[in-house]
Amino acid sequence: MSLATNHPPATASLIDPQALMNIRNLELRARVVVEGFWNGIHRSPYHGFSVEFTEYRQYTPGDDPRYLDWRVFARSDRYFIKKFEDETNLRCHLLTDQSRSMTYGSRGYTKADYAATLAATLAYFLHLQGDAMGLLTFDEQIRDYLPARHRLGHLRHLMLALERPAAGQATNLAAPLRRIVEIIRKRGLMVLLSDFLAPLERLEPDLTALTACGHEVIIFQVLDPAELAFHFDAAAMFQDVESGRTLFIDPAAARKEYLRKLTAHCARLHSTCQRLGITYHRLATDRPLELALFDFLRERMKHGRRVHRVGHYVGRRPG
Amino acid sequence: MSFLAPLFLFGALAVALPVVFHLIRRMTRERTTFSSLMFLLPTPPRLTRRSRLEHLLLLVLRCLVLGLLAFGFARPFLKGVVNTDPSAAAPRRTMVLVDTSASMRRANLWADARDQVASVLRNASPADEVAVSTFDRQVRPLVTFDQWQSAAAGGRAALVNGKLAATSPGWAATHLGDALITAAEALADTGGKTRAGPRKIVLITDLQAGSRLDQLQGYEWPQGVALSVQTVKARHPGNAGLQLVTGSDDAVPEAGAGVRVRVSNAADSQREQFTLGWGRADGRGMAGASVTVYVPPGQSRIVPVPAPATGVATDRIVLQGDDEDFDNTVFVVPPETARLRVLYLGRDSETDPRQPLYFLERGFQETRRQIVQVLVRPPDAPLPAADAQAAALVVVTDPLPETRAETLHDLVAAGHTLLFALESDAAAPTLARLCGLARLEVVEARPNNYALLAEIDFRHPLFTPFADPRFSDFTKIHFWKYRRLDAAAIPGARVVASFDSGAPALLEVPVGQGRVLVLTSGWQPDDSQLALSTKFVPLLYSMLDYAGAAAPAPEQYFVGDIVPLAAARGADKSALTIRAPDGSQLNLDARETNFSLTMTPGIYSVTSLQPPKRFAVNLDPAESRTAPLPVDELERLGAPIAHPTLTVTREVERKVRLENTEQESRQKLWRWFLVATLAVLVVETWLAGRTARRLTAQGEATP
Repeated sequence: MSLATNHPPATASLIDPQALMNIRNLELRARVVVEGFWNGIHRSPYHGFSVEFTEYRQYTPGDDPRYLDWRVFARSDRYFIKKFEDETNLRCHLLTDQSRSMTYGSRGYTKADYAATLAATLAYFLHLQGDAMGLLTFDEQIRDYLPARHRLGHLRHLMLALERPAAGQATNLAAPLRRIVEIIRKRGLMVLLSDFLAPLERLEPDLTALTACGHEVIIFQVLDPAELAFHFDAAAMFQDVESGRTLFIDPAAARKEYLRKLTAHCARLHSTCQRLGITYHRLATDRPLELALFDFLRERMKHGRRVHRVGHYVGRRPG
Repeated sequence: MSFLAPLFLFGALAVALPVVFHLIRRMTRERTTFSSLMFLLPTPPRLTRRSRLEHLLLLVLRCLVLGLLAFGFARPFLKGVVNTDPSAAAPRRTMVLVDTSASMRRANLWADARDQVASVLRNASPADEVAVSTFDRQVRPLVTFDQWQSAAAGGRAALVNGKLAATSPGWAATHLGDALITAAEALADTGGKTRAGPRKIVLITDLQAGSRLDQLQGYEWPQGVALSVQTVKARHPGNAGLQLVTGSDDAVPEAGAGVRVRVSNAADSQREQFTLGWGRADGRGMAGASVTVYVPPGQSRIVPVPAPATGVATDRIVLQGDDEDFDNTVFVVPPETARLRVLYLGRDSETDPRQPLYFLERGFQETRRQIVQVLVRPPDAPLPAADAQAAALVVVTDPLPETRAETLHDLVAAGHTLLFALESDAAAPTLARLCGLARLEVVEARPNNYALLAEIDFRHPLFTPFADPRFSDFTKIHFWKYRRLDAAAIPGARVVASFDSGAPALLEVPVGQGRVLVLTSGWQPDDSQLALSTKFVPLLYSMLDYAGAAAPAPEQYFVGDIVPLAAARGADKSALTIRAPDGSQLNLDARETNFSLTMTPGIYSVTSLQPPKRFAVNLDPAESRTAPLPVDELERLGAPIAHPTLTVTREVERKVRLENTEQESRQKLWRWFLVATLAVLVVETWLAGRTARRLTAQGEATP
């Protein structure tokens, strides 16, 4: 990852999410965001990654004979192991919540749309940077899993998976996280996109496990402005999109309690993230996506190159 | 304003419902989907003052609808002037009928019946008129309405109770239908009063199955007479009865044969095993061997009882093993065989099957209780006067000498009956003499094929046994030959039957005190098929009866039956003395021919006759059927059964309610309430619709 910028894009040039969501093609949407984003930052990417030689080391039994430098052996009749500085690309996994609660939206598009666009934007952006992108969509169980790759058609697959409509009933964050811990052994970046409208008790141990694996975790909590403000005025039967349960609610009476509980919920999530070293962003769906991207990048910059490892790779990317 | 169903007015309380609904904020039907309800709590419906104020008119309309509906259902009416006290206008008349039939002799029934009478009297108010009658075969007034009214108010019950105490159940059958009709007629007779009070028959009976109700069939109950049935129940149900079977009159009695009795067991009986035997004449137990008989409940058995052992005076058969012994004895008097004589004047041979005598002798077969002897005398042979006098019927088939005809004419004129079969026109002078005429024209008629009896006067005593349509078909009898004579030429002659040609077939000619029956054809096969038909023998016997021959006396009479003693008395016209079973002597006036004081079962004997004539009087077998009859049976026969618990106040209430119903149904105010309800509903619907539209419009204007 070699992106450097200090300037957030000017607000005037931001794209209204409403207008953005009118673009039907997800990839095009992502491209619009990224291009627009680049309008405001330095244009520095597109430098390819290289495998830089670092040193030779004497072979010791137990080393992988594949890494022997046969030329040196031919020349000197001694075994040397050739070591490279492997500037690995970012291995980023997008964990997208596609549960039914994400289908709620008060502004003409849903939270799922917003989250998908954000995921697509990040994927496109990172793809342009040459990073490996993986995707895991889930509701109460895992729906699609694409391993992190950087291939030509991979982005396309990723977009298709993201475009799949949300169908799940409930939000269960714990199961996908546990599955991620099992599947992805290599450390990387985990971007979790969800509304987190689920009990947090079970989430915490799984997030802990995720960070313990060495993954860097970024959480985007996507919430609709209606959910944040609860600005309904007429009393009505409120129906839960996930469970179908209906309650008669007079917003005027219920708003205060609702906001209190929501704030407490978010605060608890935030504090959990802080404790685990997880970056937490709360995104309202009326917020321009560039800002989210900017947040993301700023966070990346702040943490620097945490995924900097030394390995023995000859082949650069995991299969 | 009054209400027929005022309880419906409580429905008006339902007006509270719209008030409450209006107070409750209208729960919206709008649905808002929301991502998650995890932070939301249901809001309870709240009472607001605002909404009530807003829809006040709607609220009033809705309350009005409910109120109007409640009023309509309460059936309002405007009360007119109603006379609610019918008893003030006329006193109640109650006829108490107490059963005193033989079945009431059972253990506790009579005491219970007297208690019930006493309770009826206690419930009677001083203004009421009460009469008490007892009944079995007939109704006997105990206390009449007049006696009741003339007695002091305090002493009326005592009067009735005193008279009841002197009464006890008799031995007669229960003619309940007759008794009810008599009582109903007595009550229906209001004595010229225009407005009669409630009239009621209180029937106190064991209502046994043997009660005769057939009189009630088709009886039109008088208006306003109700029947209240108070049954008394026997403490021990079940009863077996004994009945003498007397059906086998035609059989020739076998030597030494006994009698047959029917043992019937009531359906609710608990005993099945009985013994029967001849009882001693003095009533002290059984004489000789007994017969054991098994009769399941509800069934009956006919048991032959062998003739009693000689040497012991027996006159009854006793049934043992039954709890109720009022019907366990039948009295038996050996039937006497009656001997009758028929005088036949003709030259016939008894053995020639082509002659009338052959059939006449075979027509009068000897039976157990009647022997008819045919005395045959040639027409010209001397005729002893004793023979002629003793003959119940004289039959003539041949022409007689002048003197003989004259003799017979005198005999007939003295009261005898003569059957003259006109076998040829040669017998015309004889017939003329017999009828007391100078001459009579008789012509031999030869029908083309055959003649039939076309017109028969079934009201004539000769043909009344054939009056039933089952027996009235005489068309099977063909007459080959007959003699035509002019009935109009014989003074007083009555044509009883005539042929299809119109010629008389059978005439009755009155002669002095007697009569001559003229058959214009013979019954022998040469003349007709009459002798070979099934009608011949019954016709002969009905001629014998018509001639005044004594019918055989029945083997037994039932209690209350009238015993004809004219035949037994014969020519003797003096007073008769009859000894009743209890030993008392009863005298029958010389003018009376019937004995009607058969009050108790037993053997009566007419001691003034030589030899004494004895007859047995038994209990009516219907009395043995003591299983209780359902009261519905009376209702089915049209008796207006009144509920016994209907008291005076209830009666008045019922009447008031009836009149209220009548007024209400005449006024039908509920219809107007319904119309008003509908009108208010229309207004309410319109108003509610308008309000809803306005609210929607407001909602759209301010999203």
